[in-house]
Amino acid sequence: MAGHHEEHSSHAHGEHSHSDRFYWLVAGVLAVVTALEVGLFIVNEQHLIAKWLEVTLLLILSTIKGAAVVMFFMHLKGDAGIFKFVFLVPLAFATTLLLSFMVLFSEHVGIAG
Amino acid sequence: MSESSMIRPHATTAHHTSLGVDNRKLGVWAFIGSETLFFATLITTYFVFAPVNRARPDFQDPREFLDIELTTVLASILLASSLTMVLALSASKRGDRRWFTTWLLATVGLGLAFIGGQVYEFNHLYHEGLTLSSSLFGTTFFVLTGFHGTHVAIGVIWLLSVFFKVRTYPNSPENAMDVEIAGLYWHFVDLVWVAIFVLVYLI
Repeated sequence: MAGHHEEHSSHAHGEHSHSDRFYWLVAGVLAVVTALEVGLFIVNEQHLIAKWLEVTLLLILSTIKGAAVVMFFMHLKGDAGIFKFVFLVPLAFATTLLLSFMVLFSEHVGIAG
Repeated sequence: MSESSMIRPHATTAHHTSLGVDNRKLGVWAFIGSETLFFATLITTYFVFAPVNRARPDFQDPREFLDIELTTVLASILLASSLTMVLALSASKRGDRRWFTTWLLATVGLGLAFIGGQVYEFNHLYHEGLTLSSSLFGTTFFVLTGFHGTHVAIGVIWLLSVFFKVRTYPNSPENAMDVEIAGLYWHFVDLVWVAIFVLVYLI
């Protein structure tokens, strides 16, 4: 019974097995990705690559950063499914909202009246 | 057993839901979900009004105002604070009061540094002629980044209150959960800046 309680408590409190060294590693990856983002922005001030390609690469890099923060720092990876549900469903709505409005109103100059 | 690794007996009460998870943690995740929609709305508004801003006589070009160097420093500060936050949580679960104190106060310090940097940026932009009412760019930019900065300030207050509450027994389940849910909020604030940094400053 006690063992069951400890196991239940451990799960409920989100005990995570990552070591401090792992967190430093994740932070290092985040720093490198941030450097890549800024480097890409600076290099492409000379318009070396197409804008759409730069935007695509920046979105991919920022998605990697965001996913790493959520999965490893916020411990969503491996945590209870209900936490994933209450975060990922609004995130899906938010992404849909942003993309829908971009499609509907991109270059639309009349919306502000 | 050292004092730092002792757990206060009466502080082990958990708040389980019928789902078998802590109700405070579930509440914070739900709150973060709603905050995701809140910031998505502000970011969407920024983008929807960008072409309108360009078409108006009071047009102000974001590229003439935004300083990528300062913003990169601010992004690095918040990313570093996410690392110190997760290290504070790790130390609290180990019952290591010394490192818990170090990492949590480092997180607070980095949060204050971010706020200071943002105040500097806003002051600089104001003197350059970009204000809340100078153009649609100014309105949408200051509302978006201002709300984010406010969230950082609230996060600093939250972290400090958690620190003073749990510092004696950081590894009791109740107190470790306090640290964890404050950390979730803090990481979310970092996550929002990851989005703002790339969508507003780089694209």
